[in-house]
Order: sequence, then C-alpha cells, then structure tokens
Amino acid sequence: MFQFKRTLLTAVVALAVAATASAQTQTLDGVKSIGRSGISPIYAGNEVKGYLMYSEADKADRKNDNYHLDFYDQDLNKVSTVVIQKPAGKYYLLDNAFNGTTFGLYFYNHKDKTMEIETYDTSLKKVASKVVGEVNRQQLMAIGMQMRSAGGEGKMPFGGLDLRPIADKGFARVNVDGEKYEVEMYDNNLQLKWRQKTDPKSKFLESIIISETTDKYMIGTVLRKGSMMSKKVDPYMVAFDLNTGKKILDQPVESSKTEQLSLSSFTYDAAKHEFVAVGEYYKPDDKPFVNKSQGFYIKRFGEDGKLVGIKPYNWQKEVKGLMPAEAQQAMEDGFMNFTHSISKGADGRMYVVSEQYRIAGKGLDVAMTLMGGGGGSKGVIGNMLVFVLDPTYKLADIKCYTKDVSKVMLPPGAGFAGAGLLGQYIKAMGGFDYQFMQRSDANSLFNVVYINYDKEKGEATKKVVGNIAFGENGKFVVDKIDGTSAATNSFVYPAKPGYVMMVDYLKKQKQLGMKLVKLNI
Amino acid sequence: MFRYVLCLWLLCLGGRAATAQSTPYLPFYSSDTSKVYALAVAHRSAVKAHFVVPKTGNSEYREHYKRIVQDASTEVYNAVRYSALLDPVLDASVQQVFAKVVKANPQLPPLRLVLTKNPEPNARAVGNGTILLHVGLLPTLENESQLAFILCHEIAHIQARHMETTIAERLTALHSREMKREVRRIIQAEYNINSRMKALILGFSLDGTYHQRKHEQQADSLGYELLKRTPYDATQAHRALQLLDQMDAPATQDQLELGQYFSCASFAKTFNTAPAKPQSIFAVKAPEQTVLQTTDTLKSHPDCAKRMRYIRALAQGQVAEGPQVVAPEFAHLRTVSRLEVVQSWFDADCYDHALFDALLLLRHDPQNAYLRSVVQLSLYELRQHLINHRFTEVVSNVSTHNPANFNQLLTTLYGLHSTEYKGLSTCFEQLVPPASAADEYALAARYAAAALAEDPAQTTALQQQYLAQYKSGKFSALLFPTPVSTLKRK
Repeated sequence: MFQFKRTLLTAVVALAVAATASAQTQTLDGVKSIGRSGISPIYAGNEVKGYLMYSEADKADRKNDNYHLDFYDQDLNKVSTVVIQKPAGKYYLLDNAFNGTTFGLYFYNHKDKTMEIETYDTSLKKVASKVVGEVNRQQLMAIGMQMRSAGGEGKMPFGGLDLRPIADKGFARVNVDGEKYEVEMYDNNLQLKWRQKTDPKSKFLESIIISETTDKYMIGTVLRKGSMMSKKVDPYMVAFDLNTGKKILDQPVESSKTEQLSLSSFTYDAAKHEFVAVGEYYKPDDKPFVNKSQGFYIKRFGEDGKLVGIKPYNWQKEVKGLMPAEAQQAMEDGFMNFTHSISKGADGRMYVVSEQYRIAGKGLDVAMTLMGGGGGSKGVIGNMLVFVLDPTYKLADIKCYTKDVSKVMLPPGAGFAGAGLLGQYIKAMGGFDYQFMQRSDANSLFNVVYINYDKEKGEATKKVVGNIAFGENGKFVVDKIDGTSAATNSFVYPAKPGYVMMVDYLKKQKQLGMKLVKLNI
Repeated sequence: MFRYVLCLWLLCLGGRAATAQSTPYLPFYSSDTSKVYALAVAHRSAVKAHFVVPKTGNSEYREHYKRIVQDASTEVYNAVRYSALLDPVLDASVQQVFAKVVKANPQLPPLRLVLTKNPEPNARAVGNGTILLHVGLLPTLENESQLAFILCHEIAHIQARHMETTIAERLTALHSREMKREVRRIIQAEYNINSRMKALILGFSLDGTYHQRKHEQQADSLGYELLKRTPYDATQAHRALQLLDQMDAPATQDQLELGQYFSCASFAKTFNTAPAKPQSIFAVKAPEQTVLQTTDTLKSHPDCAKRMRYIRALAQGQVAEGPQVVAPEFAHLRTVSRLEVVQSWFDADCYDHALFDALLLLRHDPQNAYLRSVVQLSLYELRQHLINHRFTEVVSNVSTHNPANFNQLLTTLYGLHSTEYKGLSTCFEQLVPPASAADEYALAARYAAAALAEDPAQTTALQQQYLAQYKSGKFSALLFPTPVSTLKRK
C-alpha cells in the first residue's frame, strides 16, 4: 500500500498534468511512501492485463479512511478509481485475482483482525463482500513479511495470503495456523462452494502451499510434522478437484529407500494428465547443504495418484555432459538449485527454471549454521539455470546465466528446514534474484526476469534487470536492461507479453514513475 | 467524405507546388545559436518588464504573482530559445503578413511575432506583446488572410489585456477570503479532504474556464475588426475557423502502404492491416477523462461551430466557406511548412509521428530526398530506442483518439523486433536508391542506413565524413553522442 498526500497545490498540478500524461508511462506526484505490494499486476490467465494500485488517501470519518483502488490497463492507461471506506490506517490489500469475469480483492482488516474478500465485475461495480475468517498468528507474521518483502514473488510460505482465481467460477483461499489447514472455494458472489481441511483424526501438524490451479485441479504441497518441536518436515503432494473440493492426490515425495528426496516444486502436466514433482536428491544419510546433492529428479503421478515414473538426473551421469562449465564450478562450490518454476511449453518440452543458492561459509561453518538453526547466517545466491527436458523427459539442454553473487540474511530457524524449505524461506524474503516468470497464454513464449545487484551495498549500485526468453522457436535470448537509477526504490513487475514494467520511487520528490519497457526478445 | 476529398486536393496542390521548385527545400538549421539566444533573452526580459508585481494584495498574492511571471518568462524563453524558427522562407513570410496587420492597426501596443517549430497546430499570445505561432498551424491554412485572422485573434488577446485580467482574476479568487475560508473549512473538517478539495478546485477551474471562453469570444470579435482594417479578405475569418474545426482529422484516412516501402525479395514481410484487437479486460464505459477533455462547456475555447456562427453574425453573412483556391506562393509555404513539421516531430523525439508524416507525404512526392532521409533516420532512432529499452518513451500508444492509419503504423512498430529494422531499411533503400550524399540530411540518412545494415566499415566511413563536413551538424549529438561514463547520483 502507498500513501498519497494531496495538498491544494498537488491537486492543481495533478489536474494540469493529467491532460498531457502519455500512456505506457505514468508519473504520480504526492506519493508519501510505497512498497512493492502497493502495485499488483492483474492477470487474465497467464498474461498481465492491468495493474491495481492500492493507496490510503484521507480520513473518511472518525473511524474510517478513504482507500483508493486505482485500476490501470495493460498499457498503463488509467481505467478508474474505486474509493472504499475502511478502518483508519488498518486495512491492507493482500492480493488481487481476476477469473475472467470478476475481480477478487483479498484484504486484511487489522482493526477487526479478519480476512475479507470483495468482488467487482469488469465495469468495477462491487458484486459482493464477505468476512471469510479471522486472522491467526501465523498469518499475521506472513502479512508483516509480505509488507516488507522486496522480492518479485515474495510471499511467506504457508501464510495463505494469496487469492486464487478459478476460471469463471470464483476464488479460492487457504487458511493455515501451523497446526491445520483449510482450503475454501467461493463463487463470484462469495458463497462458499466447498471447503477441504486437515483430517481431524490426523496425528500430524499440517500446512499447505497451493502452487497451481488448472482447469480441473488445485494442486499444492502439504507439509506434515509430528509435533511443534519436531525438526523434520515431510512434504506431500496434494491435488483437489476444483468442482467438488475432493482430495484426489496425497502422496509423499521425500521418501525413498535408496535416496533422500527434497521437493522443490510441484506442477500439473495437462497434456499428459500427470502430476510432476521436481527436486534434488541426496544419499540417505547425507545432509542437504553439508553434503552435495546427487542430482535432481522428476517424479510423475497419474490422476489416480499412482506413481507413473521417477527419473533421476545424476550430476555425474546425465547432467555433467550438458552442464555449462560455470554452473559445474558452482556445483563444486556447494551450490544447490532452487526450482522457481516448471512449465510445459506448447512445443511439448518442459522448462525447469532454477537458481543456485547455498549457505555462506564452508564445511564446519555450514554445519554450525544448520545446528544453530541458521539465525544470523547468510545465504548466497548464484547463477540462473534453465533445464530443458524433451517430451520424453530426457534432459535435452541446460542453460546457465551467470550473474554476480548476492547475499541474504537467513531467518532464525531456517537451518532446521530441509534444503527445499530453506529455499522457500529465501524466496519469501525476496532473497533470490529471480523475480517472476511471464508466459504467453499459448505457453509459446516464456520470459524469466531477475534483478542482479549488490544487495549489501543497496539499490544505488549498478543494477541489471535480466530477461531470459525462450519458447517454441527453440532459441534462448537474454536481454539485459540497465536498471541503475537514482531512485529511492525500484521495482520490476510483470507486464503484457514482450514487456516488463519498471517502477522508480523518488522519496524526496514524493514521485512515483511507472514505465513499460519493450524487451528485445 | 467531403473532408477526405478536400484533404487530397490540398495535398495535391501542395505536392505540385513542391515539385515546381528547382532546389528542394530542406528544413532550416543553423549551428549559430547566438541570434536565437539573444532573441530568447529579449523576450524573457520583455515578459518580466511587462508584468509588474502589483503593490496591492497581501504578500502571498504578490509572491504568487512573482512566481507566475517567473514561470511565464521562463516558458517564453524556452519556447524561443529551443524552437524559434528563424528561417528565410517561412519566418520571412509570416513576418510579412504580421507586419501588414500591425501597419494597418497603428493603435496597437508594440508586438512581436515568433514562429516556433512546434508541430501542433496552434498559436498563443503572451501579455507583453509576444505572439508564438506554431509552424504546425501553417499546413492547415489556405491563404494569408486566414493566417492574418489567426494573428489578429492573438493580437486581440494582447490588446484586450486578457492575460493580465486572467492572472488578476484567478489570483484574486485564489487568495480571496472566501477561498481561504473554504480551504480552512475543508482542512478543519478533517474528513474527505481529497474529494472536497477536488470539488473546490474543479469549481475554481470551471469558473476560470468560463472567463477564458468569454475572452475567446472577445478575441474573435476584436480580431475580426482588426482584420477588417487590413488589406486581407475578412470573409476568410469564418473559413479559418472552419479549417481549425477540421484540423484534428488526418490528411488521409487511407491505410499506409507499408508493404510497398518495407517489404522486398530480401526481406519479405507481411504487414497486418487489420485494426488492433481490443486488449482491455475492463468494461468501464469510458476512460477517465480530465476536466479539460470532457465536454465542450469545459474547454478553454468554445467549439469552432459556435465561433463560426458568431463570426457569421458579425460579418452579416459575408463569409467564405468550403475549400478556397490556394495561390502558388501560399501552396509553397504550406509545402515547406509540412517539411518543417516532419522535422519538428523528429527533433522532439516523436519518431512515430515523423515517420508517419514522412510516409504520407512520400505518397505524393516519392522522390523527395529529404522525406526519404527522415524515414531512414526515424527507423534508426526507433531501433536505437528499442535496443536501449526506451522504445515506449518515443512511440505513442495505440488509441481510439488516433487516426486509424496512425494506429496501423503504431501496431506495426510495436510488433517489430530490433533485428527487423535492417530488412525494413534495406527494402526502403532498394525502392529508390539514395542519391550521393549531397546534403547533411542525406548524409546522416546514409549513415543511419549503414548502421541499420550492420556494415561497420561503411558506418565508420560515413561517420567520419559527416563529422568532417558538419562538425557542429544538426545530427552530431544525436547520432554520435559522447558516452556518459559516470551516472550522477542523488
């Protein structure tokens, strides 16, 4: 959320400037502060179709403030402003979602400690609003983290702060409290359609991360542990039928007699009707980070939940021949890969986008870090990698995009998590350089966006916004934008295909500049 | 339809006049900026000297007045310093018309006319007696009498002291006790300050606009009287307004024949001619508009139909209507001004507009070397901006407000990859091979074409040739910028 300070003078200026403002760029004056979450892209399917800017404006009455919802289209033309009156200084927009016919806005009401959803039609008339639950401690922590996050897709894992659009049907949200989870689906009028939750008889504490919604399923990862004090967390792949909420898949991933598996990402291959899990594997007694992983794996399950196949890609066997030298060196240095996304292209190939990371230090330092929970230690972020698998899941190509290493502080307790989970923590804190991946509706063009700069020295240093584009023409193209600027804060957002949106905020001038940048891809 | 026929006819006349010239016209450029600088300083001083801060009113009022004078003088300085067109053809012609108007009206205060490179069809008066005439207005007119009426209208603003009156009225209202009380009341109320303040400003703005509209009517009336005293044809005042009413329409609504220029055997490209599909997911009835864009009642100028009716009444029905015969001298003036407009778009980094206008004019003057140079230079700059990630800063957005053929060009430009500019340039060059670089524009265009063709040897040779021939040339800074080694940080 950002804040506007309108004075008589700025209002006059705004009226004068509005007439001459050109599209594809927007400059706003009188912006007191802004975080990354102040602006959020609006998606229709895979493609960005607009932006929503949420701001606190002025007092509406003794108890309420006026909040502005400024809608922009994909070309940055202002569409309209919706003004809502909500509790003063205590109403936060957590997420927006568009399901093809209706906009869903997910709010946190700090005054009443509740989570609320409002829906609007495409003419931006309100359809419904509903208090969908009370906020719990875990969600509060996640909200605080999300407000501070600078990362492109930074959301606290297991926080359940995102609203999932269900095409033409409604919206889904999750509710987690560290002990159990609930997944709820509402229609556009915010009538509850179904609810799926932790089995009351379960012996485990359960959390959930929803990773994807297809036209049939909602899929994600359930994390189970024996008790609050337990350090071992087991991830399970789960899938729910979108129409009924019925759980149709609940499979453990990190279990094998011969290897120790670490889950990074989980997706659904609509063409083959299969669920696909990707992660790295270790020897049974090895410790992730302390010991090197043996390789990465792909595990596939049918819609009936039965294992269809597991394919390991051993660093020394399948991968080494294709691994670029710079990536190989990083592997030698103890880097692991965090999988940001797995996408199936229109060409039938699968693209696994990863980023290298490790705990700072060597050998004993890392072991100490893990034993101590990781608090006060740093994570190191390395290169970007794209693994290309052909339609038969044979590793066809590996692309490595080198960038300067950057460091990130690890939160207390992070070291107790498995390798995959630690990556999730780093991601939630905006520690990875990876920002987001854009893809065209036909899945024919992908663009991976990262920002590389020295995070320890701050944003005023040389900053590169990298774009790695690939798709059905088989070519990989990199387009690097010089993102260095004198701005107090800079952000990059997804945009319509072939573009990114760059935002600069100048605190002293109270000025916010938004610009669409056409990419050379 | 009638408008379309008229535009074509006008274009044909212009084209004929242009081909009649023995030496092709090139937009004016002088590396010596001392004259224009001296002129700009003189105008800035004149504005400051004219607007004397009143002794009445409180200190806030006087401070505000000072700021307005400072801003106005800076604006006039910038307009003159960076866009005065002191060429021997256009400036000389408009100054001649201006001199006749002034001579016929000896009662007028001292006046000065500056022709500027601004491509937008407009003119404006500054209270001290300075009139800024945009070159973009000239192609829309048919004769000197119409130009004289436009000048008389602006002179009338000066004679009637409209700027002074407007400043005094607005400042008096803004610093009035009533306004202060209202602002205080809104702030003290604490609640809904934004919407209340917006309503107050809107009311204030509407009130000011109403007064401004009254001024426009006065300027039409007085301007008409001034025109009547000159040797020019006063019936053309009505026709001038008729042309102003049509000036937003494109010269032609035909689609651009992009394939004819930019597709060839070595680069076969199909250009989509279908209108761009709407992309918006929003069904909000109309995009948000500012108060200045909404209805005629809020425009600073009353619409031309109303003004025409008013002039018709003043002239007791003695008015010129419909297309007028354009004398060869004025046709030449229009042709030349069209080229200056193309160059103005280019100089203002509006390469889409420069390319669009050049392609439209090439339809009637396909051999024009200058226009062909602009096409190559525009392609080069568009590609450079694309590579440097600044493309959206120099290309307009597709909009329902644009003519369909301009949207067609924009859609094409947005769909182009940087690697395709080479093909576009090559095909365009093949159509009419460039003459040996006889002038600065042609030489710069040859450099641009070589750079687009990725021919390093030729590029270096042409760069050296250009810098040797035109050390302080028009394109030196644009084509061969000094690299910025360090970025200043705040």
